[in-house]
Amino acid sequence: MSTSAIIPVELIAPAFNPASFADRTQIHALFTRLRRDYPLSQAEVPGYDPHWIVTKFDDVREITRQDELFHGGDRSKTLISQAGEALVMEYTGGQHNIFRSLVQLDPPEHRAYRDVLASVFMPNSIAKLADGVKTTAADFVERLAAHGGHCDFATDIAFRYPLKVVLDLIGVPPEDHEKMLTLTQWLFTWADPDLKRPGADPGNPIEITETWNIVYNTFKDYYAPIIANRRAQPTGDIASLIANGKVFGAEMEERAMISYLIIASTAGHDTTSATTATGMWMLAEQPELLARLKAEPELIPAFVEETIRWATPVQHFVRSAVQDYELRGRQIKAGDLLYISYLSANRDEDAIADPFSFRLDRSPNRHLGFGYGGHICLGQHLARLEMRMFWEALLPRLEAVTPAGPFQMAQSEFVSGPKSVPINFRMH
Amino acid sequence: MDSQPYRQWQCMTCGEIYDEAVGVPWEGIAAGTRFEDLPADWICPSCGTRKDDFVLYEP
Repeated sequence: MSTSAIIPVELIAPAFNPASFADRTQIHALFTRLRRDYPLSQAEVPGYDPHWIVTKFDDVREITRQDELFHGGDRSKTLISQAGEALVMEYTGGQHNIFRSLVQLDPPEHRAYRDVLASVFMPNSIAKLADGVKTTAADFVERLAAHGGHCDFATDIAFRYPLKVVLDLIGVPPEDHEKMLTLTQWLFTWADPDLKRPGADPGNPIEITETWNIVYNTFKDYYAPIIANRRAQPTGDIASLIANGKVFGAEMEERAMISYLIIASTAGHDTTSATTATGMWMLAEQPELLARLKAEPELIPAFVEETIRWATPVQHFVRSAVQDYELRGRQIKAGDLLYISYLSANRDEDAIADPFSFRLDRSPNRHLGFGYGGHICLGQHLARLEMRMFWEALLPRLEAVTPAGPFQMAQSEFVSGPKSVPINFRMH
Repeated sequence: MDSQPYRQWQCMTCGEIYDEAVGVPWEGIAAGTRFEDLPADWICPSCGTRKDDFVLYEP
């Protein structure tokens, strides 16, 4: 074996620190080094159980397409300290995750739960939403124009456009959208000084558990009456489909039902927001990109796809091995934890040509920004539609855009994206 | 020569369409390859789902 089985702690430690992910140069340099020197090696960071760090595109695909062999629900689906996981088990009566959404479910339950909404999110169903999404996109382009040449594109537009699309589909009234955005930020950016829950202490190893438990219970209190309402009077919205959904012929287990609504209300928009903000970031930094897209609008889908690869908002998940498994010459033992780095896989030099260049000519652009295998993002086709509609509405009117200050990424090791994209722009 | 019209098949996990008329050229599956002629271990080019989780797609 040419590479060491153990990654030096001082090398891997930044990957366990949410703040590191705000510095994209630093975090990509780390994963580039890992892909070269430790493509599949173990991290033994004090306070955490050992994790195999999976950095290669092919390895991520091999693991994540075998949901029977690599579970998402037997242990925490995301990176967590030993103390944090112990508290999760205390809060949940022995489960390893606060949430029991699609991402934490394993076969055969996962497919049964996914099927509750699967047909709604298939491409032909999503295509029927195009007119409504186009109207919302046009509204947000007008909102951008109303800023008069300067705004923070992340907070003023990108945070809110996918939020409205998704929450309207779920059936959340507009007056509650801001509350949903706040809870989403507490959840995914629990350690970011600007977005975290007030009073949260990112330095505390159990903070993520405390915050996620508060988020879960706040959502539970919010959705309980909505579930009751939709059971009494189904409306056809997503809340109705979940509230009345059957799994193996029976009602969903409560934590799974609440979590289903939570993942739709959070990941359903935050990832698209991050990717949309990333798109504007690229346009502001690369004037030739804007010029090309204006001249060749048929490239907008390729632009969208590349922004997804570039942003990779869901940066990691954790799986646990159900049985012994050999991969890349390593002996993974039953029960071992595997940190699946989508962020690394989407920059893997062995799978993606010129991975650190933002290119519109990748055909096909087979990135892992939506994941892979049975857990591939249920909302991927909606996300693409939202972004395509937005850029198709905006780009013909956008004459110029430049940075108006430093762009900033959120501090998050899990779901992350730009938290501030100040721009000067000119529109007609 | 096969005179049957080409058909499309959809992945039940991710919605990917396998179009027999197009194949998957970048993965070595030539245009005109019938779904039943794909190898048994062929997987969805988008998500890795097994061949037997594709269904006939009739939009």
